[in-house]
Amino acid sequence: MPLPWKAVLALVLAGPWTPAAGEDDPTPREAPRRYVIERVEVVGLETTREEEVRRRLLVSAGEVLNDEQVLLSRLRLLQLGWFSGVTTRVERGSERGRVVVVFDLTERNTLLVSDLVLGWTPPQGLYGGFGLAQQNFLGRGLGLSGAFVYGGSRLDRPQDPSLFGVRGSFFAPDLPARRQRLVAGATALFLRGEELTCSDPDCDAYAGALGGAPRLRYERLGGEAVLGFRPGAFERLTGGFRLEALSAEIVPGSGTDQGPAPAILPGESLLTALTGSYEIDTRDDSFFPRAGVRATAQITFASPFLGGDYDYSRYLVQFESAFAIFKKRLRLQAAVGAVQGDAPFFDRFYAADFAYFSIGPALWRSMELNFSTDSRYDTAVAMAGLEYAVPLWTRRGFLRRGYLALGLRGVYTTTGPGAGRTDASAWPVSGEVALRLDTPVGFFNLSTGALVDFLL
Amino acid sequence: MTADRPPAPSWRSALALTLALGAGVAGAAEPLQASVSERAGRLVATFDLPTAFPAEIERQLGNGLTNVVALVASVVPERGGSPAAAGARTLEILFDVWEETYAVTVRDARTPRGRRAVLPDFAALRTFLSTQRDLDLGPAGELPPGPLVLEVRLDLNPVSREDLERTREFIANPASSGRPGGGSRSVLAAMASILLREPEEGEEFRLYRSSPFAAADARGR
Repeated sequence: MPLPWKAVLALVLAGPWTPAAGEDDPTPREAPRRYVIERVEVVGLETTREEEVRRRLLVSAGEVLNDEQVLLSRLRLLQLGWFSGVTTRVERGSERGRVVVVFDLTERNTLLVSDLVLGWTPPQGLYGGFGLAQQNFLGRGLGLSGAFVYGGSRLDRPQDPSLFGVRGSFFAPDLPARRQRLVAGATALFLRGEELTCSDPDCDAYAGALGGAPRLRYERLGGEAVLGFRPGAFERLTGGFRLEALSAEIVPGSGTDQGPAPAILPGESLLTALTGSYEIDTRDDSFFPRAGVRATAQITFASPFLGGDYDYSRYLVQFESAFAIFKKRLRLQAAVGAVQGDAPFFDRFYAADFAYFSIGPALWRSMELNFSTDSRYDTAVAMAGLEYAVPLWTRRGFLRRGYLALGLRGVYTTTGPGAGRTDASAWPVSGEVALRLDTPVGFFNLSTGALVDFLL
Repeated sequence: MTADRPPAPSWRSALALTLALGAGVAGAAEPLQASVSERAGRLVATFDLPTAFPAEIERQLGNGLTNVVALVASVVPERGGSPAAAGARTLEILFDVWEETYAVTVRDARTPRGRRAVLPDFAALRTFLSTQRDLDLGPAGELPPGPLVLEVRLDLNPVSREDLERTREFIANPASSGRPGGGSRSVLAAMASILLREPEEGEEFRLYRSSPFAAADARGR
């Protein structure tokens, strides 16, 4: 049986702190050794650049050996996530009194699965996607990721162009600069999608013949570049510019129901926007955090003054605590967002994206591609939820850690003030039972909520 | 005027961290040869740890840097429950690469500033470490009735949460799905991200457990 450590700690800390009379308490009298570091060696590197390691070390040649600085250097290297092992040792130098400090590194896999999508909907049929992220690109700690989703032509319309999306991202999380630590990134995407534009979310007028439903066919080609800095060790503040070339075409339906199309300018248009984001992440662990929070605030300003055709602003704040609410393994998740102006539909809020599942045709989108019949996008969103975790195991091997997540989440979206809740789901509350896994190739989420989303 | 403050006993912070990292990886408790006795109104424990320091650990302990062995011993009912008595000790081991000797500084509640020994080789170090004598477990108060056991937890190089915080950075790359709310999910898998993992150091510890004894045995010795 494991020891009740908190009780032990209380007992021990209450113990005698000063030596009792007559006790043996010889203070160490010998002066500590003062060896000078002759050089620092870094061994074991395969792909990581040595200079990227060295700039994170707190010891250097010519200094007096300080064990604590060696330990902190070792921890810094481990915290990068690039190494599965960092061992340190001291060897004799070229003459007495001089030593060599050796950092022996074992690199870990940093190529991770970032997206894995498989789904089926009545209008689309089967679709799927995959994404990879390299977290130590070029051995310099740069992030490079790519993902795609492919749906092909809609069912009943084999002659139509395929629907798909591809995205590539680059991110430099820690650029050395004289007085600041900078971050920079760029994202590019190309999407070809469709939104069915029936007057009701189910497209009842075209039941059984969804190939005849009216639709909005669109393409998005563009990207975003961001530059920022780190106000603190756990914060990022970035600003960026977003540019997208859009094209949209209404394809009429075969029946009389020609519902309203989601917001976008017909024909060719240009979206230009300034973006800003603030991100703080103090979690102690990105898989199963027991302390800290993660929060992001994002602002988008699109204006014809920037050369584009759209004039709107978008605000979104998201928050996530560790599993530590009320001293239980409870996590709070929340989001609130609003859009002002004439934002294109994809920059509005799709309720199903924020829910575990939706009762109705709405279904979470895959890389912003909507394969359901519900094309209602809203201008305001609020979400709050709690998740309870049951740790299942911690061990070595492929399935390193696992926990069971039980979640409950409420989502409220609306098209505007006074419009009431958009019933994207029959219930505003959804639940989740998921098995979450930590593996060497990424985190995986076996979600019954997602499964329910397909079934309901 | 500044008062000279006694140096904070390193074993205290090591112990706190050991406790904070309690959910680490450990196997079942190993058998422990131990005796608990009363001396001058206090409980003291003496125990052997013959399997804790195998020959392979010479590479670690001889790395020329300070290695810390943290020991926490507690007297608990055999069937479990809160400890009736407990104590801790740290041993700081430093191999001098030029002198080729091991310096060991032992700190516990009775000698918080430490007592030092210099050992000529690994064999002597191993002998020194393997037998821990007279670890103070606190006042010899009322030990509960029923069979008791001595449990010892051993951590090698526990890492303090403070050190982890000092070295942790926000270096995780952003979620690759782009803007929040548009992330992808699936039944099979979902977003992946990494980094900011806890270092592996400090995750392992060993547990030892003695055979049962009665409170009267401890008092009678």
